[in-house]
Amino acid sequence: MEEKLEPDEMIVHLGPQHPMQPGPFRLNLRLKGETVVDADIELGFIHKGIEKILENKTYLQGITIVDRICYLVALVNEECFVGCTEKLLGIEPPERSQYIRVILDELTRIQSHLLGMGEFGEFIGFVSMFMYTIREREEVLSLIDMITGARITHSYLKFGGVRDDLPEGFKEKAIPVLNNLKKSVDDFEEMFHTDRIYRERTVGVGVLTADVAKNLGVSGPPLRATGVPFDIRKNEPYLVYKDLDFKVCTETAGDCFARVQVRLDEIRESIYILEQCFDQIPSGPLFPEGSLYGRRTPVMRVPAGEVFYRVEDPRGEMGMYMISDGSDKPYRVKIRGPYYPTLQALPPLIIGTTVADVAAISGSMDGCTSEADR
Amino acid sequence: MDVAEILKSLTGAFPEAISEKTAESEIRARAYVDREKVKKVCQYLKGSLQFDHLCSVCGVDYIKRNEFEVVYHIASYNHPVVLTLKVRLPRENPEIESIVSVYWNANWYERETYELFGILFKNHPNLKPLVLPEDMLGEWPLRKDYEGFPNKTARNLV
Repeated sequence: MEEKLEPDEMIVHLGPQHPMQPGPFRLNLRLKGETVVDADIELGFIHKGIEKILENKTYLQGITIVDRICYLVALVNEECFVGCTEKLLGIEPPERSQYIRVILDELTRIQSHLLGMGEFGEFIGFVSMFMYTIREREEVLSLIDMITGARITHSYLKFGGVRDDLPEGFKEKAIPVLNNLKKSVDDFEEMFHTDRIYRERTVGVGVLTADVAKNLGVSGPPLRATGVPFDIRKNEPYLVYKDLDFKVCTETAGDCFARVQVRLDEIRESIYILEQCFDQIPSGPLFPEGSLYGRRTPVMRVPAGEVFYRVEDPRGEMGMYMISDGSDKPYRVKIRGPYYPTLQALPPLIIGTTVADVAAISGSMDGCTSEADR
Repeated sequence: MDVAEILKSLTGAFPEAISEKTAESEIRARAYVDREKVKKVCQYLKGSLQFDHLCSVCGVDYIKRNEFEVVYHIASYNHPVVLTLKVRLPRENPEIESIVSVYWNANWYERETYELFGILFKNHPNLKPLVLPEDMLGEWPLRKDYEGFPNKTARNLV
């Protein structure tokens, strides 16, 4: 961004600590009156060097590290990392383990979307929204807690399966929570559709068209809100997603309202997937029979090779590129987080809008700066 | 479009530049490309083969072979095939043409690869550090011979 200012222009720094987005990053806005004429992002305030750390840890230790990429979606990160390693090892988890992983992935999606919507409400001054969604999210976190024994960082997935079986009576405890959640989602939707201030802050704000979104490399709900039905669970099915019935939620407007609506619809689809999982989950072992892999995998050497594996994160396409040289530590892991391109796409989207809309646009992207910084 | 068709079309258009092409599975393909031709190949992939989504750009340090690889993962919003395009670069002279003019979102990936590996992307619009502080330029932390913050690796390149 140019330093020289016109007499009627000024630069406003949003961040590094600003409630507009969880996690520190700085947005430099060049304003002319209230209109944004230029924008520039600085990040790296919490760069954790996870790719380097992974090169110095064994594969099993790596699972605890990838949890920390973005703690809202720790289990999806684990699925991506463990999936990469399983591809290199040439093993596949048995069906029961795959179902448990799907259950956890979808619960993760629900709690991440609930928090995303609540925070978005807070950014545009709809603070009670946050209270409503955080209450529902706690219930969902308790379900995850029942399975993994942790609320934020889990280290639950293991190579070839999962650490523990579902607890006794999990289905009976989960069904009422999900039924309540269905009602709450309907209430949220009604609030969004009838609240006039909410509509005026979001409808037609931050419009992303399908062509622009594709060109910017965006994925996940911001892309689906423009009408592109791109979802890794459908395009490139992993785990048991091909046996489950669900639809890819899309909207056509591409504005802030549509992005939140896509998340609402995805919560409904996730609940539907969970109900199918509870009905279909087979009994059986958690790890491949007769294999070396189990709950405690000893020092393990992974055959040399390389793999690129991607999964659908609540924020879009999460991919990892793992290279093994045959030793017990990965040679190189490249993490392609979904929020990185979305954050990069923020300046072109906010140029030309007013400064009051910046928080709405940035919040509706549902960012996780921790993941962009890795 | 399937993997065989894509690889055939790619070698048909660039018989000299593409080498070691392999189909890893039904939805994964891999190929090496000459460093001079990478931008042309990307233009062809985007224009003719529907590869309109750049997943990532990253560097890999093969210190025993004394070379870097720049790896592009290019996918599509229409078909599930992901192409892993690799370029070999000598360690003494890691320079390659930027592909920002083809794929807009390559910008940050190339900046990150530059500051972590010291690979120079020619004609990049704004090649400066992104995630590391500016006084760490020249440290190249993801190189395999990096020894920790106060020690420098390959300081002569800056």
